[in-house]
Order: sequence, then C-alpha cells, then structure tokens
Amino acid sequence: MITLGDYLIVSGILFAIGFAGVMLRRNLIIILMSLELMLNAANLSLVAFSRFRVSPAGLPNYNAQVFVFFIITVAAAEVAVGLAILVALFRARQTTDVKDISELKF
Amino acid sequence: MITAPLLEVGVLVLGMVILMFEAFATKIDKRILAFAAIAGLAIVLVATFFVAPVPSPNQATGFWNFYTVDRLSVFFKQFALLTTILVLIMMIDYAPAVRSSFPGAHDGLGEFFTVPIFTCAGLMYLVSAIDFIFIFVSLELVTISFYVLVSFTRKNPVTLEAGVKYLVLSALSTAFLVYGIAWIFGVTGQTNLQRITEALATPSTDQSATLLGMVLVLVALGFKIAAVPFQIWVPDVYQGAPTPVTAYLSVGSKAAGFVVLLRVLRPFATLPQMQRLLVLIALLTLIYGNLAALPQGNLKRLLAYSSIAHTGYLLIGVVCLDSNAVVFYLVAYLLMTHLSFAVLVIVAQQTGEQIADFDGLAKRSPFLAFAMLIGMVSLAGVPFTAGFLGKFFIFYAAILQRQIALVVIGVITVGCGFYYYLKVVRAMYWQPAAKIDNISVSTLSRIAIGALIAATIWLGVYPQPILDALKR
Repeated sequence: MITLGDYLIVSGILFAIGFAGVMLRRNLIIILMSLELMLNAANLSLVAFSRFRVSPAGLPNYNAQVFVFFIITVAAAEVAVGLAILVALFRARQTTDVKDISELKF
Repeated sequence: MITAPLLEVGVLVLGMVILMFEAFATKIDKRILAFAAIAGLAIVLVATFFVAPVPSPNQATGFWNFYTVDRLSVFFKQFALLTTILVLIMMIDYAPAVRSSFPGAHDGLGEFFTVPIFTCAGLMYLVSAIDFIFIFVSLELVTISFYVLVSFTRKNPVTLEAGVKYLVLSALSTAFLVYGIAWIFGVTGQTNLQRITEALATPSTDQSATLLGMVLVLVALGFKIAAVPFQIWVPDVYQGAPTPVTAYLSVGSKAAGFVVLLRVLRPFATLPQMQRLLVLIALLTLIYGNLAALPQGNLKRLLAYSSIAHTGYLLIGVVCLDSNAVVFYLVAYLLMTHLSFAVLVIVAQQTGEQIADFDGLAKRSPFLAFAMLIGMVSLAGVPFTAGFLGKFFIFYAAILQRQIALVVIGVITVGCGFYYYLKVVRAMYWQPAAKIDNISVSTLSRIAIGALIAATIWLGVYPQPILDALKR
C-alpha cells in the first residue's frame, strides 16, 4: 500500500535533485529544466496532500488540485519568457554556459 | 463608490488598449503612449479614494476568500500606482537609450511603456491577496513582467546578463514558495490565510512541518525583498537592468514583498522560532548591506547595496510586527529612491553611472544636484527628511519591543550609511567638474522631481497625513 509518506519522500527527492541541478550544472537550459523539476516536486506533494486529506463526505480537498493547474500554467509562461531570454543570450554570445556570463562583479 | 476589483480591471484594460493601439498605429511618436498610460493610471489613482467597503474576511464567501480590501491594501494600491507613474516618467527620459538598443524600424518603446502597466496590476492584486493561490499567481504576474523589463535593452550584454541572473534566481525562489505552500497546505488543509490561522490555533497541528513550510515561504519572500542571505542577485540585476526598471524593482517589488510578508507572518506569529529567525536575518541584512556599499564606485550598484540595507531597517519593523512603521518607512523609501533614480537617469545619459560622473554636478545643473542632495541625505537619515522619521518610527517600535541588539546594530549601520551617501554629495559639491555642460531636464521630469523633493521634506517635517491615512 502506497502511503502519503511515500509520495512526500519521492517529492522531496525530486525537489533536491532539481535544487542540486540549479546549483551545480553550468548549462542554462539544464538549469531551466531543473527549475521545472522543482515546481513539479511541489505539484506532486500538493496532489498527494489533497488525495489523502479526505473530507467526511469522502471527497478529496480540491483546493490544492486547482492550485496545481495554476502552477502548471504559470510555469509554462515562465519558460516561454525564459527561453526567449536564453535565445537572445545565445544570439549575442554564442553560449548558454553560466561561466561565460560573468561581466558583472563586485 | 466603486468596488475595489474594478481598479485592477481598469488597469489591465488600459494596458491592453495601449498595447493594441501600439500594434496598429505605427507612425505615431511612441511617447504619446507613455503619456496616455500616465493619464490612465492617474485616473485609477483618483478612483482608489472612492472604494466601497467589503465584508470582513471572517464571513467572506466566493471571490472575497481570495481578495480583501482593508486600509493596508487600498493604501498600497495607491503606492503601486504612484510608483508606476513615476517610473513611466523616468522611462520617457530613458527612451533614447532604449531606441538605440533596437536598430531598425521597430523601436520597442511601445512595449517598454506598456509592460509596467501589467506589473502595476500585479502589484495591486498582490497587496489585496489573502489566499496563497492568489498570492502565488499575482506574484508571478509581477515577476514575469519584470523578466521582460529587466532584459529589455537586450543589445547591451550587461543587461542580458542581469536578465538571465534575475530569471534563474527568481524562478528558484518561486519553486521554494510553491513547495512551502504545499507543506503548509499539508498541515492545515487550507490555502486561505484566515483559515490557516484558525487551523494553527488548534493544538493538534504538527509544529515542525508548519515551520518547514513557513521557512520555505520565507526563503522565497527573502528573495523578493532582498534580505541576506538571498540578496546575491540584487547588485548585479540592479546594475545591469535599465535604470527606470531598477527603480521599479527597488520600490515596487520590495514594497509588495513586505506587504505579503506582513500578511503571511500573522498566522505564524505564535511560533517562537519565527521571531528568532527574523531577528537573525534582519541583523545580517543590516550589516551586509551597509558594509558592502562602502567601497562601491558605481552609483547604481551603490543604490543596490543601499536597497539591501533598507530591507534590514524594514525587517526590524517586521520583527516588531508594527505594520504602521513599516508602511511609513516604505513611503519615505519610495520618495527618496525615486528621487535618486530620476536624477541618475538624466545624468547617466550625459556622462555615466559612476560616482565620478557626478563631479561638479552643482555647477552643471544646480536643480539636479539639489534633488540628488535631498535624496541622499534622506536615504542616510538626516533630520527634517522623510528618511529620518522612517528610521525613527522603526527604532521606536524596536525599543518598545526591547529588541536591543537590533537597535544597537541599526544605529551603528546608519553611521556607516552616512559615509557612502555623502560620498555622492561630496562629488557633486566639492569636486571640480570635468567639463561644464548644461543638462536639459524636460518639464514633466522637472515637475516630478520638484514634487518628490517637496514631499520628502514635507513628510520629514509634518508626517501626520500619512499617519492619519494609516489609522483611518
């Protein structure tokens, strides 16, 4: 039997993988993918919490599931703008490596 | 009397109409669009004074579960509108720099003037939001439109770099926010702040899971308000972004972050760990912001570090949960920051953004030099300016709450601030000018800067109108 805890552990692992990807990888496309992974980890926990919190009438709490739709939509908008910025960056510098974007310094 | 959501609808419709007009009227001078936007936002600003009261959050139903109209939110709607109007005025002055970034027939100015209107709508929704879903969506409306604005002059490599950094770190903070909300939902089964308060009051709720969720949300809001240790993006993004956008980020985004912070912290005030965590963040922010600003030679970067330092002072008010002190400080911060940036936009077009470029400004343009002087002394906190009273109310609240460490560090760092702000004043008044050139200032900017000077001094001498507006 799969319990709420199992879902939360998987979601925690996904969030950690995403965070590690943002921190350690040097390619901006991979960083954007890792960010999406973090958002999806949150989506998984929300749906799990919603599914396992059943009301007396036997229905799950749908608030969180509605929230997940909003997160998916916003993530799509974010990626659309983000990729546009990356394309502009690639045209200007012929690179998507974060090591090469370091003109602004202390 | 009008119902409050109409204000945001009005702003959004204004933005869409201007965008449509821009798409089809290609031959016009694009600055007309900015004037239309300023006029439209001014009308909405007047309308905010005639908002009808709404049911209290306890017996709210339907839409009013997500959206509230208390005096804090109406005040900050006016704040957001005023900020956007001032930013649009700066953008008109900044137009030549944008035009030079877009070679060819399409000069990009139409979008440059329109995107802030949508940001403004996002800010207005955000200050009314009392549900985590609504907070998330309106925060993203603000953030995504800022992605576009920050990297707008994309032919400039520094701007593009700032845009990428802002994109990655903001998206990271969004992920933390969503994950935090998920955990808070998991503990309480609610997304509405009022219901979360009720759920947390019952002793059976899991304290550690709540704390995990709240800390994750706090990380995300720390990014928005530029608190240490989530301030890494601030200096680079502030320096690289187009100057009016920097001003907008520094005032609009920060103010909205603080309103959300005040609202979100209220249900969690019962957790003793929250208070200690906030005191620690406030201390680090004060020390880092002020010390890192000392060696800066670029004025935009200096203002970025100063913005981190001001977050520290505002956080003292948040620790004391004194929303009136925080709001007054934000108003003072709006006036003096916009004043400094308005002068910076004009001077930077002539010479540059370094402090050395302000050498002898008092001879080149006495009016701009005086405006910058008032902005800087107010940011430093000299008496008879709005900045002084803002700091005074914050420290007073801290003394009442016996937060001695915060007051001591706060006062020491204010001294630090005097050094780097007066460095700019020294350059303007005591350094010889490299070349004498008259700097022309458009009438609209002259009026705006004059009004900001007057308001900064007026609030420093007679703060009663703002205090009354908050008590009402």
